Amino acid sequence: MSQNINLKEADRKIFSASFDDGLLDIFLACWLLIFILGPFLSVYLGDFWSSFVFLPYWGVVYLILRWVRKHVVNPRIGSVKYGPIRIKKLTTFTILMLVLNIIFLLLGIVAFLMPIGSGWRFILPFSAMLLISFSLGGYFLGLTRLYVYGLILALAIPVGEWLYQNFGASHHGFPVTFGFVATIIFLVGLVKFITLVRDNPLPPEDLPILEPDNG
Amino acid sequence: MDDQVPENLELKTLVDLDPLIHAPARLIVLTYLYVVEAIDFVYLKRVTELSWGNLSRHLSKLEEAGYVEMEKTFQDKKPHTMIRLTDRGRDAFRAYKDGLQEVLGNLPD
Repeated sequence: MSQNINLKEADRKIFSASFDDGLLDIFLACWLLIFILGPFLSVYLGDFWSSFVFLPYWGVVYLILRWVRKHVVNPRIGSVKYGPIRIKKLTTFTILMLVLNIIFLLLGIVAFLMPIGSGWRFILPFSAMLLISFSLGGYFLGLTRLYVYGLILALAIPVGEWLYQNFGASHHGFPVTFGFVATIIFLVGLVKFITLVRDNPLPPEDLPILEPDNG
Repeated sequence: MDDQVPENLELKTLVDLDPLIHAPARLIVLTYLYVVEAIDFVYLKRVTELSWGNLSRHLSKLEEAGYVEMEKTFQDKKPHTMIRLTDRGRDAFRAYKDGLQEVLGNLPD
Protein backbone atom coordinates (compact mmCIF):
# COMPACT_ATOMS: atom_id res chain seq x y z
CA MET A 1 0.00 0.00 0.00
CA SER A 2 2.07 2.89 -1.24
CA GLN A 3 -0.32 5.57 -2.45
CA ASN A 4 -0.01 9.32 -2.37
CA ILE A 5 -2.87 11.23 -0.79
CA ASN A 6 -4.23 13.13 -3.71
CA LEU A 7 -7.96 13.80 -3.97
CA LYS A 8 -7.94 14.29 -7.73
CA GLU A 9 -6.00 11.08 -8.21
CA ALA A 10 -8.33 9.25 -5.82
CA ASP A 11 -11.34 10.49 -7.79
CA ARG A 12 -9.73 9.45 -11.08
CA LYS A 13 -8.77 6.02 -9.73
CA ILE A 14 -12.22 5.36 -8.29
CA PHE A 15 -13.85 6.30 -11.58
CA SER A 16 -11.48 4.58 -14.02
CA ALA A 17 -11.60 1.40 -11.90
CA SER A 18 -15.24 1.14 -13.03
CA PHE A 19 -14.05 0.68 -16.61
CA ASP A 20 -11.34 -1.90 -15.96
CA ASP A 21 -13.72 -4.70 -16.87
CA GLY A 22 -13.35 -4.23 -20.64
CA LEU A 23 -17.11 -4.18 -21.21
CA LEU A 24 -17.02 -0.63 -22.60
CA ASP A 25 -14.41 -1.75 -25.14
CA ILE A 26 -16.46 -4.78 -26.13
CA PHE A 27 -19.54 -2.58 -26.54
CA LEU A 28 -17.58 -0.12 -28.73
CA ALA A 29 -16.32 -3.00 -30.87
CA CYS A 30 -19.91 -4.25 -31.28
CA TRP A 31 -21.02 -0.69 -32.13
CA LEU A 32 -18.44 -0.59 -34.94
CA LEU A 33 -20.15 -3.55 -36.61
CA ILE A 34 -22.55 -1.09 -38.21
CA PHE A 35 -19.67 0.18 -40.35
CA ILE A 36 -18.57 -3.36 -41.18
CA LEU A 37 -21.85 -5.16 -41.85
CA GLY A 38 -24.03 -2.15 -42.66
CA PRO A 39 -22.64 -1.65 -46.19
CA PHE A 40 -23.33 -5.29 -47.05
CA LEU A 41 -26.80 -5.24 -45.55
CA SER A 42 -27.67 -2.08 -47.46
CA VAL A 43 -27.56 -4.08 -50.68
CA TYR A 44 -30.57 -6.11 -49.46
CA LEU A 45 -32.29 -3.75 -47.05
CA GLY A 46 -31.49 -0.30 -48.41
CA ASP A 47 -29.46 2.37 -46.62
CA PHE A 48 -32.13 3.30 -44.06
CA TRP A 49 -33.17 -0.19 -42.91
CA SER A 50 -29.62 -1.48 -42.92
CA SER A 51 -28.87 1.14 -40.26
CA PHE A 52 -32.18 0.76 -38.44
CA VAL A 53 -31.68 -2.98 -37.97
CA PHE A 54 -28.75 -2.22 -35.68
CA LEU A 55 -30.92 -0.58 -33.02
CA PRO A 56 -32.34 -3.86 -31.65
CA TYR A 57 -28.90 -5.43 -32.09
CA TRP A 58 -27.31 -2.75 -29.87
CA GLY A 59 -30.16 -3.19 -27.42
CA VAL A 60 -29.44 -6.91 -27.12
CA VAL A 61 -25.68 -6.31 -26.81
CA TYR A 62 -26.30 -3.69 -24.13
CA LEU A 63 -28.59 -6.01 -22.14
CA ILE A 64 -26.10 -8.88 -22.35
CA LEU A 65 -23.20 -6.69 -21.20
CA ARG A 66 -25.36 -5.24 -18.42
CA TRP A 67 -26.19 -8.77 -17.25
CA VAL A 68 -22.46 -9.65 -17.29
CA ARG A 69 -21.69 -6.48 -15.37
CA LYS A 70 -24.28 -7.24 -12.72
CA HIS A 71 -23.65 -10.95 -12.26
CA VAL A 72 -19.96 -11.37 -13.11
CA VAL A 73 -18.18 -8.04 -12.67
CA ASN A 74 -19.96 -6.30 -9.79
CA PRO A 75 -19.68 -9.22 -7.34
CA ARG A 76 -15.92 -9.12 -7.98
CA ILE A 77 -15.15 -5.40 -7.99
CA GLY A 78 -18.10 -3.97 -6.09
CA SER A 79 -20.00 -0.80 -6.82
CA VAL A 80 -19.71 2.91 -6.15
CA LYS A 81 -21.97 5.96 -6.14
CA TYR A 82 -20.00 8.86 -7.56
CA GLY A 83 -19.70 12.20 -5.84
CA PRO A 84 -21.31 15.45 -7.11
CA ILE A 85 -18.21 16.65 -8.99
CA ARG A 86 -17.98 13.43 -11.00
CA ILE A 87 -21.72 13.42 -11.66
CA LYS A 88 -21.50 17.00 -12.96
CA LYS A 89 -18.64 15.95 -15.25
CA LEU A 90 -20.65 12.97 -16.53
CA THR A 91 -23.67 15.19 -17.17
CA THR A 92 -21.53 17.62 -19.19
CA PHE A 93 -20.10 14.69 -21.14
CA THR A 94 -23.58 13.29 -21.87
CA ILE A 95 -24.80 16.65 -23.17
CA LEU A 96 -21.72 17.06 -25.38
CA MET A 97 -22.15 13.55 -26.78
CA LEU A 98 -25.80 14.27 -27.50
CA VAL A 99 -24.84 17.38 -29.47
CA LEU A 100 -22.14 15.46 -31.34
CA ASN A 101 -24.58 12.67 -32.18
CA ILE A 102 -27.01 15.20 -33.63
CA ILE A 103 -24.20 16.63 -35.76
CA PHE A 104 -23.29 13.06 -36.78
CA LEU A 105 -26.89 12.44 -37.78
CA LEU A 106 -27.04 15.63 -39.82
CA LEU A 107 -23.79 14.73 -41.59
CA GLY A 108 -25.23 11.29 -42.29
CA ILE A 109 -28.37 12.79 -43.79
CA VAL A 110 -26.32 15.14 -45.96
CA ALA A 111 -24.12 12.23 -47.09
CA PHE A 112 -27.25 10.17 -47.80
CA LEU A 113 -28.98 12.84 -49.84
CA MET A 114 -26.01 14.05 -51.87
CA PRO A 115 -24.05 11.98 -54.38
CA ILE A 116 -20.83 10.92 -52.67
CA GLY A 117 -18.43 10.79 -55.62
CA SER A 118 -14.88 10.51 -54.36
CA GLY A 119 -16.11 10.80 -50.79
CA TRP A 120 -13.29 12.97 -49.46
CA ARG A 121 -15.63 15.88 -48.76
CA PHE A 122 -17.58 13.78 -46.30
CA ILE A 123 -14.79 11.63 -45.03
CA LEU A 124 -12.78 14.32 -43.32
CA PRO A 125 -15.69 15.72 -41.23
CA PHE A 126 -16.56 12.17 -40.11
CA SER A 127 -12.94 11.52 -39.20
CA ALA A 128 -12.80 14.75 -37.22
CA MET A 129 -16.09 13.93 -35.46
CA LEU A 130 -14.87 10.49 -34.43
CA LEU A 131 -11.61 11.92 -33.14
CA ILE A 132 -13.41 14.66 -31.19
CA SER A 133 -16.01 12.25 -29.74
CA PHE A 134 -13.46 9.73 -28.51
CA SER A 135 -11.11 12.44 -27.25
CA LEU A 136 -13.97 13.94 -25.24
CA GLY A 137 -14.65 10.46 -23.86
CA GLY A 138 -10.98 10.09 -22.98
CA TYR A 139 -10.96 13.45 -21.23
CA PHE A 140 -14.23 13.24 -19.33
CA LEU A 141 -13.98 9.55 -18.44
CA GLY A 142 -10.25 9.73 -17.74
CA LEU A 143 -9.57 6.75 -20.01
CA THR A 144 -6.36 7.23 -22.02
CA ARG A 145 -7.12 4.36 -24.38
CA LEU A 146 -10.12 6.24 -25.79
CA TYR A 147 -7.74 8.82 -27.29
CA VAL A 148 -5.96 5.96 -29.08
CA TYR A 149 -9.26 4.46 -30.25
CA GLY A 150 -10.31 7.89 -31.55
CA LEU A 151 -7.09 8.30 -33.46
CA ILE A 152 -7.13 4.91 -35.16
CA LEU A 153 -10.85 5.24 -35.94
CA ALA A 154 -10.28 8.68 -37.45
CA LEU A 155 -7.50 7.19 -39.58
CA ALA A 156 -9.65 4.20 -40.55
CA ILE A 157 -11.91 6.36 -42.70
CA PRO A 158 -9.30 7.99 -45.00
CA VAL A 159 -7.29 4.76 -45.14
CA GLY A 160 -10.46 2.93 -46.22
CA GLU A 161 -11.11 5.55 -48.90
CA TRP A 162 -7.51 5.22 -50.06
CA LEU A 163 -7.89 1.42 -50.29
CA TYR A 164 -11.12 1.93 -52.22
CA GLN A 165 -9.62 4.36 -54.71
CA ASN A 166 -6.34 2.51 -55.23
CA PHE A 167 -7.22 -1.16 -54.75
CA GLY A 168 -10.96 -1.21 -55.27
CA ALA A 169 -11.76 -2.23 -51.69
CA SER A 170 -15.52 -2.61 -51.38
CA HIS A 171 -17.72 -0.03 -49.65
CA HIS A 172 -15.00 2.63 -49.42
CA GLY A 173 -12.79 0.17 -47.55
CA PHE A 174 -14.92 0.51 -44.40
CA PRO A 175 -15.39 -3.23 -43.77
CA VAL A 176 -11.61 -3.75 -43.89
CA THR A 177 -10.44 -0.77 -41.84
CA PHE A 178 -13.27 -0.71 -39.31
CA GLY A 179 -13.08 -4.49 -39.04
CA PHE A 180 -9.40 -4.18 -38.17
CA VAL A 181 -10.03 -1.48 -35.55
CA ALA A 182 -13.06 -3.28 -34.09
CA THR A 183 -10.99 -6.46 -33.72
CA ILE A 184 -8.27 -4.57 -31.84
CA ILE A 185 -10.79 -2.87 -29.52
CA PHE A 186 -12.64 -6.15 -28.94
CA LEU A 187 -9.41 -7.95 -28.07
CA VAL A 188 -8.40 -5.18 -25.65
CA GLY A 189 -11.81 -5.51 -23.98
CA LEU A 190 -11.63 -9.28 -23.88
CA VAL A 191 -8.14 -9.27 -22.34
CA LYS A 192 -9.26 -6.70 -19.76
CA PHE A 193 -12.34 -8.74 -18.90
CA ILE A 194 -10.43 -12.02 -18.56
CA THR A 195 -7.73 -10.31 -16.49
CA LEU A 196 -10.31 -8.79 -14.17
CA VAL A 197 -12.12 -12.08 -13.63
CA ARG A 198 -8.82 -13.90 -13.10
CA ASP A 199 -7.37 -11.33 -10.68
CA ASN A 200 -10.52 -10.65 -8.70
CA PRO A 201 -12.01 -13.83 -7.29
CA LEU A 202 -15.40 -13.65 -5.66
CA PRO A 203 -15.11 -12.27 -2.12
CA PRO A 204 -15.56 -14.69 0.78
CA GLU A 205 -19.15 -15.42 1.74
CA ASP A 206 -18.59 -14.21 5.32
CA LEU A 207 -17.05 -10.80 4.76
CA PRO A 208 -15.33 -9.61 7.94
CA ILE A 209 -17.33 -6.40 7.89
CA LEU A 210 -20.37 -8.32 9.09
CA GLU A 211 -18.54 -9.86 12.01
CA PRO A 212 -18.63 -8.25 15.45
CA ASP A 213 -15.99 -5.55 15.83
CA ASN A 214 -12.90 -6.85 17.58
CA GLY A 215 -10.47 -4.19 16.43
CA MET B 1 18.64 33.32 7.61
CA ASP B 2 16.54 31.65 4.92
CA ASP B 3 17.41 28.23 6.30
CA GLN B 4 15.92 28.98 9.68
CA VAL B 5 12.56 27.60 10.66
CA PRO B 6 10.05 30.43 10.44
CA GLU B 7 8.75 31.64 13.75
CA ASN B 8 5.18 31.29 12.59
CA LEU B 9 5.52 27.53 12.16
CA GLU B 10 2.86 26.34 14.55
CA LEU B 11 3.88 22.93 15.75
CA LYS B 12 0.70 22.86 17.76
CA THR B 13 -1.16 22.41 14.50
CA LEU B 14 0.81 19.24 13.85
CA VAL B 15 -0.03 17.94 17.33
CA ASP B 16 -3.67 18.84 16.79
CA LEU B 17 -3.98 16.70 13.66
CA ASP B 18 -6.65 14.09 14.23
CA PRO B 19 -4.74 10.89 15.15
CA LEU B 20 -7.67 8.79 14.00
CA ILE B 21 -7.25 10.11 10.48
CA HIS B 22 -3.45 10.32 10.60
CA ALA B 23 -2.93 6.53 10.42
CA PRO B 24 -1.87 5.87 6.77
CA ALA B 25 -4.45 3.18 6.05
CA ARG B 26 -7.34 5.21 7.49
CA LEU B 27 -6.12 8.31 5.67
CA ILE B 28 -6.30 6.43 2.38
CA VAL B 29 -9.72 5.00 3.22
CA LEU B 30 -11.04 8.47 4.07
CA THR B 31 -9.50 9.99 0.95
CA TYR B 32 -11.49 7.62 -1.23
CA LEU B 33 -14.65 8.07 0.82
CA TYR B 34 -14.27 11.84 0.55
CA VAL B 35 -14.53 11.85 -3.25
CA VAL B 36 -17.59 9.59 -3.55
CA GLU B 37 -21.14 9.63 -2.28
CA ALA B 38 -20.99 5.99 -1.21
CA ILE B 39 -18.88 2.95 -1.98
CA ASP B 40 -19.27 -0.70 -1.20
CA PHE B 41 -16.84 -2.76 0.84
CA VAL B 42 -15.57 -4.78 -2.13
CA TYR B 43 -14.84 -1.71 -4.26
CA LEU B 44 -13.14 0.08 -1.37
CA LYS B 45 -11.00 -2.99 -0.67
CA ARG B 46 -9.95 -3.05 -4.31
CA VAL B 47 -8.89 0.60 -4.59
CA THR B 48 -7.23 0.80 -1.16
CA GLU B 49 -5.43 -2.53 -1.67
CA LEU B 50 -5.96 -3.37 2.01
CA SER B 51 -6.80 -6.87 3.19
CA TRP B 52 -10.39 -7.72 4.14
CA GLY B 53 -9.59 -7.88 7.84
CA ASN B 54 -7.44 -4.76 7.86
CA LEU B 55 -10.04 -2.70 6.04
CA SER B 56 -12.76 -4.01 8.32
CA ARG B 57 -10.84 -3.02 11.45
CA HIS B 58 -10.11 0.48 10.21
CA LEU B 59 -13.71 0.99 9.15
CA SER B 60 -14.92 -0.16 12.56
CA LYS B 61 -12.76 2.47 14.23
CA LEU B 62 -13.98 5.16 11.87
CA GLU B 63 -17.57 4.06 12.47
CA GLU B 64 -17.07 4.19 16.24
CA ALA B 65 -15.83 7.76 15.88
CA GLY B 66 -18.90 8.61 13.83
CA TYR B 67 -16.83 9.40 10.74
CA VAL B 68 -18.42 6.78 8.51
CA GLU B 69 -21.74 5.02 8.37
CA MET B 70 -22.22 1.54 7.03
CA GLU B 71 -25.39 0.18 5.56
CA LYS B 72 -25.30 -3.60 5.82
CA THR B 73 -27.75 -5.46 3.62
CA PHE B 74 -27.97 -8.69 1.64
CA GLN B 75 -27.97 -8.82 -2.15
CA ASP B 76 -28.77 -12.18 -3.72
CA LYS B 77 -28.32 -13.72 -0.25
CA LYS B 78 -24.80 -12.31 -0.04
CA PRO B 79 -23.65 -9.62 2.40
CA HIS B 80 -23.41 -6.16 0.91
CA THR B 81 -22.04 -3.17 2.79
CA MET B 82 -22.29 0.39 1.51
CA ILE B 83 -20.02 2.85 3.25
CA ARG B 84 -20.33 6.61 3.24
CA LEU B 85 -18.65 9.50 5.00
CA THR B 86 -20.84 11.22 7.56
CA ASP B 87 -21.00 15.02 7.78
CA ARG B 88 -18.84 14.76 10.88
CA GLY B 89 -16.31 12.61 9.03
CA ARG B 90 -16.29 15.00 6.09
CA ASP B 91 -15.68 17.97 8.38
CA ALA B 92 -12.95 16.09 10.25
CA PHE B 93 -11.21 15.10 7.03
CA ARG B 94 -11.41 18.68 5.72
CA ALA B 95 -9.99 20.01 8.99
CA TYR B 96 -7.21 17.41 8.84
CA LYS B 97 -6.40 18.38 5.23
CA ASP B 98 -6.32 22.08 6.06
CA GLY B 99 -4.21 21.44 9.16
CA LEU B 100 -1.73 19.35 7.24
CA GLN B 101 -1.50 21.94 4.49
CA GLU B 102 -0.91 24.62 7.09
CA VAL B 103 1.95 22.69 8.65
CA LEU B 104 3.55 21.64 5.37
CA GLY B 105 2.99 25.04 3.80
CA ASN B 106 5.01 26.65 6.57
CA LEU B 107 7.97 24.34 6.23
CA PRO B 108 11.14 26.00 4.92
CA ASP B 109 12.53 24.77 1.58
